[in-house]
Amino acid sequence: MDLSFLWLALGQIISPQTIAYALAALGLAVCFGFTGLINFGQAGFMAVGGYAFAITSVHFHWAFGWSVLASIAGAVIFAFILGIPTLRLRADYLAIVTIAAAEIVRYTVKTPNIAPVTGGTDGINGSSHAFDAFNPIPVGRYGFGVLTYDQDDLWIILVGIAVTAVAALFVWQLMRSPWGRIVKGIREDEDAVRALGKNVYWYKMQALIIGGVLAALANIINIIPTSLQPDNYGTQTTFFLFTIMLLGGATTVLGPLVGSIIFWVVLSLADGILSLGVQYHWLPITQLQQGPIRFVLVGIALMLLIIFRPQGILGKKREAYFGA
Amino acid sequence: MPKSTSPETTAPSGARPELFIGTAGPGVKKTDPILVADNVTRTFGGMTAVDVAHVEIPRGAITALIGPNGAGKTTLFNLLTGFDRPTTGTWQFDGISLAGMPAYKVARTGMVRTFQLTKALGLLSVLENMRLGATKQGGEHFFTALISSLWRKREKEITAQAMELLARFKLDSKAGDYAASLSGGQRKLLEMARALMTVPRLVMLDEPMAGVNPALTQSLLGHILNLKTEGMTVLFVEHDMHMVQTIADWVIVMAEGKIVAEGYPDEVMRDTAVIDAYLGAHHDTDLGSLTGQLEVAKELGDEFLVSEISDEIQEEPKNGK
Amino acid sequence: MKIPQAQASRLAHRARGALAILIAAAALILGPAAMASAVETPAPTPSASPESIEIWIRVAADKSNVPNASVLVTGPKGFSQTFVTGPDGKAFVGLPRAGDYTLLVDNKSLPAGKGTPPSESNPRVVTVSPGDVEDPAYFLLVPGGTEPSVPGSTNTPGSGHHSSSGNNTDYGALVANLTANGLIFGLLLALASIGVSLIYGTTGLSNFAHGELVTFGALTGYVLSGVLHLPGWIGIVGAAVAGGLMGLGQDAALWKPLRKRGVGLIPLMIVSIGLSLVLRYLYEFIFGSDQLIIPSDSHAAFVLGPIKFTSITLISVILCVVLLLLVAFILLRTRIGKATRAVADNRALAAASGINVERIIRLVWVGSGVLAALAGVLIGYYQTLRWDTGGSILLLVFAAVTLGGFGTAFGALVGSLVIGLVVNLSTLIIPANVQNAAALLIMIIILLVRPQGILGRRERIG
Repeated sequence: MDLSFLWLALGQIISPQTIAYALAALGLAVCFGFTGLINFGQAGFMAVGGYAFAITSVHFHWAFGWSVLASIAGAVIFAFILGIPTLRLRADYLAIVTIAAAEIVRYTVKTPNIAPVTGGTDGINGSSHAFDAFNPIPVGRYGFGVLTYDQDDLWIILVGIAVTAVAALFVWQLMRSPWGRIVKGIREDEDAVRALGKNVYWYKMQALIIGGVLAALANIINIIPTSLQPDNYGTQTTFFLFTIMLLGGATTVLGPLVGSIIFWVVLSLADGILSLGVQYHWLPITQLQQGPIRFVLVGIALMLLIIFRPQGILGKKREAYFGA
Repeated sequence: MPKSTSPETTAPSGARPELFIGTAGPGVKKTDPILVADNVTRTFGGMTAVDVAHVEIPRGAITALIGPNGAGKTTLFNLLTGFDRPTTGTWQFDGISLAGMPAYKVARTGMVRTFQLTKALGLLSVLENMRLGATKQGGEHFFTALISSLWRKREKEITAQAMELLARFKLDSKAGDYAASLSGGQRKLLEMARALMTVPRLVMLDEPMAGVNPALTQSLLGHILNLKTEGMTVLFVEHDMHMVQTIADWVIVMAEGKIVAEGYPDEVMRDTAVIDAYLGAHHDTDLGSLTGQLEVAKELGDEFLVSEISDEIQEEPKNGK
Repeated sequence: MKIPQAQASRLAHRARGALAILIAAAALILGPAAMASAVETPAPTPSASPESIEIWIRVAADKSNVPNASVLVTGPKGFSQTFVTGPDGKAFVGLPRAGDYTLLVDNKSLPAGKGTPPSESNPRVVTVSPGDVEDPAYFLLVPGGTEPSVPGSTNTPGSGHHSSSGNNTDYGALVANLTANGLIFGLLLALASIGVSLIYGTTGLSNFAHGELVTFGALTGYVLSGVLHLPGWIGIVGAAVAGGLMGLGQDAALWKPLRKRGVGLIPLMIVSIGLSLVLRYLYEFIFGSDQLIIPSDSHAAFVLGPIKFTSITLISVILCVVLLLLVAFILLRTRIGKATRAVADNRALAAASGINVERIIRLVWVGSGVLAALAGVLIGYYQTLRWDTGGSILLLVFAAVTLGGFGTAFGALVGSLVIGLVVNLSTLIIPANVQNAAALLIMIIILLVRPQGILGRRERIG
C-alpha cells in the first residue's frame, strides 16, 4: 500500500498554498474577526492583487519590487471602490457588494476581449522569473522522499514564511495599539465608537485595505510556484478562507495561520485516504466522486465550527466574536 | 444672571438662577444657551417625527427632555448629534454650526451622547472601554500605532484618567473584566464614565435610568448632579417624573414631534394640560394587554397593527380566553 | 443587521403597485421563445481529474442522436484534433489543459437531410475551466442552419457577442427575443427570490443555501421525469412537494434549533454557507458533474412576431404568473399572509399580538422551498441542469432581492424582472460571458444611488 500521501499531507504544513491561505485568512481576520466587516470578497482581493502582479511582471516586465507595489496598489484601489459606497450602509450590504464585486472581477478577467492582457480563462503563467532571479539558494534538490524541493520551491517557501511572520507581527502590534482598540470597538458597536468622536468610516476603510493588501501579497506567494488561474478566485475560495479563519480563531493573530495548516493537512489526508479507499474498493465510490467529498467536509466543518466552537481552536470562549 | 427687564417676564421667586428671557413657553430664549436649534424637522415617509421650530438649551444646567412614547425625543437626540440627517434645520453648539456634520465630528466639538440601549462594548475590558473615549491619543493613527514608544506615554495618562473616573463610578475593581460581565446598571455607569473620558461640555443622556435597578438609581442621580457641579451642561431624556423633578433645572416637553411646553420642573408639572395631554397618555399603559398594545399601535400610526390587534380583541371573548 | 421595519400600511399600497406590474408582465409575455440560460460558466470542479469536453450532436426536430459526425477541436498550445461521434451522438474530448477550445462541426460529415448546426454556434468556443469534466458542447441540427427556437442555445460560455448578423434575424427581433427571455428568466428568478426575501424578512437570515433548494427541485424533476420517465406534470408537482418538505425539514432540523440557541445573524449566514457547500457537493457526488436533461417537447407552439416559444415555455410562464399572483393573494388577503407581513414588520410586536411566530416561520420555509423547487424544475425543463444550477444563480437572486429592497416580497419580484432583463439585454453591448457581471454591477450601482432598493424604505435610525 502506498502511504506516501502521509508525507504529502505533512508537506502541506509548509506548502506555498498553505502559507498563502494563512496570509489571506489573516487579512480576513483583520476585516472580519477584529473589525467586524463581513468581507465576502477576499478572493476578489486575491485576484486583483494577483493580476496586478502578473500583468506588470509578465507583460510590462516590471522589476519584482514594482510588481509587488502594483499588486498592493491594486488591492488598495479595490478596497476604496468597494468601501466608499458600502461602508456607510448596513453591514450585510458590504457582504453582498464584496461577493458580487469579486465575481465581477472573475467574470471580467475571463472575457475573451481582454484575453491578450489577462490571459482569458488560461490565466497568466510565468510570473516567477523576476522572483527567482533573486534566489540565493544554490541549484539543487533539498529534502527527502516525496518532500523534495528544488531551489525555487524552497526560495518561495522561505520568503513566504518570512512574509507571513512579518505580517503576523504587524497585525499583532496593530491590535494591541489604540488603533486596534478602536476597530475592536467598531466590531462591538460602531455607533458607540462614533459617539466618542472616532471616524468609524475611515477606520473600517483602513481595515478593509489592510485585509485586501494581505490577500494580494498572499496571492503573489500563491501564484509564483504555480500560475494565475481566474477560476481559483470564485466564492469558494472566500468561504475556504472563512473556514480557515474560524477554525483557528477569528479574533486571534495566530488562529488563521494554525487554521490554514490544519485545513490543508486534513484535506490532503482526506484526499489520500479516499484515494486508497477507491483504489482498494473499500468505498463504494468512483474516483470522480472523490472530488466533491472534500467540499462536503469543508461545509460540515464550517457549520460545526460556527455552531459548537465559534471561537475556534485558539480563541477564548468568552472572546468568541459571536457567542452561540 | 439675566438682565432682562421685559415686563412680561414671569420671574420666578427664590434663589433659583434665571435661565430664560421672557415668558416660559416653547422655544423661549435662554440667558446663556449652549445649544440653539432652529426649524429642525425630520420626516419618515409621510410621517413627521420631529418638527422643532426653535429650542435653546441653557448652559451649566440640567435639562430634561420629556414626552410620551413616539414624541420624537430620541429622534431629536439623533439629529442633534449627527446620528440622523434632518429634513430641514440648523443648530449651533457654542456658536459652531453642526448641521450636516458627521456624528464623530459633533462628538469632537465637546457634545457627547449616550444611548437608550446601552452600548457597552462587551468584548473589550472595562478599562479598554474607558480608554476608547480618550482624546489626543496619537496611537489611534495607523502608522503611529506601529511604534509603541510613540503612544505609550499618552496611554499611561489616559489610563490614569480612566482609573480615576472608574473609581468615582465605583467600577475600578472591575477594570480588567469584560464589559459584558457587568450588570445593566453598571453598563449604564460605564457608558456615562466613558463619555466623560472625552472631556465634554455638553452631555446628552438618552434615558439614563431605563433598566437600572433602584439601588443604582440614586447613585446615577448623584453622578448626573456632579456633572453640573463640574461645569458641564446636561440634557437628558427621561420618563421617570420623579427623577426629572429631583434633578432637572429645566424641562422641555415634546409631543408628536413638537415642543409643546418648557419651564421649571415644578411649573411644568403643575400644568395640567401638559400632564393630561402629554404625560398621562401612556403613563400606565400595560403593554402586556391587547388594549395597551392597541394604544401604542395607534400612536405609532401603524394601521395594519391596529386592525390586527383590534381583530384579536374582538376574537378574544369568542375564544373564551 | 436589523430587520427593515416596513410599515404595513405602506406595504398594502406597494402591493397594489406590484399586482399591476404582475399583470402587465403577464400581458407582455405573450410570446417568449427561448429561456435564458441560467447556467453560468461551469464552476471549477474540485477534483484533480483532467479536463474534458463532451460533444453531443442531435437533430433539433426529433432529438435523435447523430453518429459519425466529425468535429475539429482546436485549442491553446497548438491543440488540434478531430473527434467522431459515437452511436449515442456523443464524443468525449480529453484535454491536456484548461482554456478556450474552438469546436467546428464538419457539415459534410453530417447525414443528409437532417440539417446543420446554426451558423452562430458552429464553430463555437467552449471555455474549459481547470478541473471541468465533460464541459458540454451540444449541437442541434436544424434545417438550413438557422437559429432554432430551442431554449438554452443562446448562452454558450465564451461565445462572445450575440451576433445580430444572423441570416434572418434583424436587430429588432433580437431585442424582442432577449426582452422576452429576460422577462421569463426574471419570473423564474422571482420564484426563488421571494423565498429569500420572506426568509430574510421573518428570520433575518441571508440564506446562502437557497440555491441548493432550487437545485433540489430541478434534480427531483430530473429523477421523476428524466430517470423514471413519469409524465412532466408529475415532475413539476413532485418537485414542489419535495421542495416544501425540504424547506420544512431544514427549518425543523437546523434553523429552528439555531434560533432557539439565539445564534446571531452573521453566524447563521455562515452556517448557511456551510450548508450550501454540503448540499451542492452532495448533489455532485450523487448526480455527477455532467449536464442533466429533463426531456421536453421543443417544438414551437406559439409564434408572436419574431418570438417563438414552445409549449413548455408557455406552461412555465403561465405557472410562474399564477404562482406569483397566488403568493400576492396569500400575502395580501389571507390571515396567514397578514401575519407573515406582521412578523416581517416587527417580530416582537407580532408575537405580542398573539401571532404564533414559529408557525409563520415554518410556513415561510415550506412556501420558500416549494417556490424555489418550482423555479429549479422549470429551469431544468428549459435547458440542461447541473449540480450547481441553483448555486450559480444565487448571486443573481441576491441581486434581485437587494435591488427590490431586502425583506419585501414584491420588491423581490420587481428586482428579479430587472435582473432578468439586464442579464439578457446586456449581451447586446457586452460579451455574453460577463452578462452576470453586468447584473451584479447594476445591483452595486443601484445600492449606491438608493441603498434601500427600488421598493424598500429608507431605514430609520434610532
